[in-house]
Amino acid sequence: MDDRTIEPVVDLSSLRFSWTAAGPPLLEIGTLRVVSGERVFLRGRSGSGKSTLLNLLAGVVTPQAGSIRILGSDLRKLSSAGRDRFRADHIGYIFQMFNLIAYLSVIENVCLPCGFSEQRRRRAIEGGASLESEAIRLLRHLDMDDEGLLRRPVTELSVGQQQRVAAARGLIGAPEVVIADEPTSALDADRRAAFLELLFAQCSRTNTALVFASHDVSLAPLFDRTIELTELNRAASRVVSAEGARE
Amino acid sequence: MIIALALKSLRNRRLTAALTVLSIALAVALVLAVERIREQSRESFTSTISGTDLIVGARTSPVHLLLFSVFRIGDASKNMRWDSYRDLAARPGIAWTIPLALGDSHRGFRVLGTTQEYFEHLRFAGGRRLELAFGRRFETPGEAVLGASVAAALGYELGRDIIVAHGSGEVAFSLHNDQPFRVVGILAPTGTPADRTIHVALDGLDALHGEAHAPAHDPLASAIQGARRHAESHVHEERDEHDEHASESAGHAITAFLVGLESRRAALSAQRLVNEYPAEPLTAILPGATLLEVWEVVGVAERALFAVSVLVVVVGLAGMLVALLTNLSERRREMAVLRSVGARPIHVFALILGEAALLTLLGIALGVAAVYAGLLAGRPWLEARLGLFIEVGWPSLYECGLMTLTAVAGAVIGMIPAYRIYRYSLADGMVIRI
Repeated sequence: MDDRTIEPVVDLSSLRFSWTAAGPPLLEIGTLRVVSGERVFLRGRSGSGKSTLLNLLAGVVTPQAGSIRILGSDLRKLSSAGRDRFRADHIGYIFQMFNLIAYLSVIENVCLPCGFSEQRRRRAIEGGASLESEAIRLLRHLDMDDEGLLRRPVTELSVGQQQRVAAARGLIGAPEVVIADEPTSALDADRRAAFLELLFAQCSRTNTALVFASHDVSLAPLFDRTIELTELNRAASRVVSAEGARE
Repeated sequence: MIIALALKSLRNRRLTAALTVLSIALAVALVLAVERIREQSRESFTSTISGTDLIVGARTSPVHLLLFSVFRIGDASKNMRWDSYRDLAARPGIAWTIPLALGDSHRGFRVLGTTQEYFEHLRFAGGRRLELAFGRRFETPGEAVLGASVAAALGYELGRDIIVAHGSGEVAFSLHNDQPFRVVGILAPTGTPADRTIHVALDGLDALHGEAHAPAHDPLASAIQGARRHAESHVHEERDEHDEHASESAGHAITAFLVGLESRRAALSAQRLVNEYPAEPLTAILPGATLLEVWEVVGVAERALFAVSVLVVVVGLAGMLVALLTNLSERRREMAVLRSVGARPIHVFALILGEAALLTLLGIALGVAAVYAGLLAGRPWLEARLGLFIEVGWPSLYECGLMTLTAVAGAVIGMIPAYRIYRYSLADGMVIRI
């Protein structure tokens, strides 16, 4: 970790969040820091506020108190439009499943973030390549460059293939942070390991920080660091019932 | 970006999208077609007669005079005297007159006794003249010229002899068997009542009535002439009329006449002259004004038709709303994905609204295309069968207004699902709810 920059990519402090202003806090986090290129495993049961934390990091929701600084920008100080733009520019996001837009082709799905972020579009074509060839390059690194696969409607791809397309979308245009919300939960053990390997390799290339949330402890050893959400979150003891009631 | 997404999204659901577009297109086509036909039928109605400045007949209501003299609907309650006609026709400022004698029929079609002036001066549809499709105009008292519909309906050709019956009903009681008219000409279709009329020389009708019924001096003859423009052709009713009309002079009798003035501006004073004519109570009308008056009544039906077609558009748009709303919940996932790559809630709103707008615009474009194709294809038929002359020109300002209104309505309706998804998108963030 010594050769990496000291300035954290994600710097979260004294954060407090609840869904309603009067309601009990769902998340109360003292400090959470992730540096460039770091691979963090965020472990938590479903309902523990894991997805909410990821939404906070992505700037979709804002906390009642505390600060979330991504690349030095305080998300709380940005307008909601500003946060959306910031997310488009700097954050790649991979969902648990249903990552792809059914009416777009594989390539179009991968290139989607570049339609919302000029910065990522520029970075994607930095090497002089076209956007499409950059998408194919990423897909090739994820073992997804088969011509037949590229032309198939995304709905006909297997879950594993869909997740790899989603990973390529998260990585295109080299965002500083990739957030993954249980992206391997629908995959079997072998494919899970293969997917992570490919994801890690890509993140290393661009020195991208990876925040990977899962309830599956068996994956933890593959990461630089594991964070137990229940330990991190001081509101955890009070959360379970409240979260359960919400869902 | 959003437009491209909307297009691809619609292409993905092309069956639903196509059906939605089709229903909007049909609705739009219906509205446009109804509007066109409405416009054209009003036009063709109000131009049934043109170039005529006055219509003069025995004292009656203006609408009644117009209906029987121009549209051959109903019958004149009274003839006017020939000498009144001669007197008025000779007044200065009058360019031409066309005498009309109605009251006889042939197999349900009205027989009109008139003169060469009829072919010379009658104009319709903004200045079109009567034209002969076959044969020639009548020249002697025993000749007849058929309207296009008469010839088509009865299958008559040139040279055929027809027998004229007294009265206007399908079943006539007194036939002028001994004096047939020979068909010498058939008019081209006009889309006016002339199509359904049998034209004969006024002299021919006079000869018919004079000789068929009595010696020329018999007062009964003129009495019958007076009665023959009655709606009822029953013999006993003719009897009732005898006394009333016994004073009418024998010889020519006409039901009305059309007047062309040398100067249109003289129409009002000429009308007053006729209405105050001392020798006989007469009515003169300005055909344009009275036509509009009648259209006000007839127009109710076409307004109802228009209202129905507008409702069809509403139904078409409602169909689109249903189509957009039904897959909204499954699209929440898609919206979460879009949010994750940096789409703002307003983008999501715009995406759904854009889809609605695209569907509506495609529907309108297709509908307009369908109407034009239909009009071009159906024009000869409409012209031949209904006598409707539909001009295929650029859409009128009013039609453009209708289309714009439809487009705006489509967009407004699109805002309903767009707003819902916008709310979802704000509430869900990037949490995928299945």
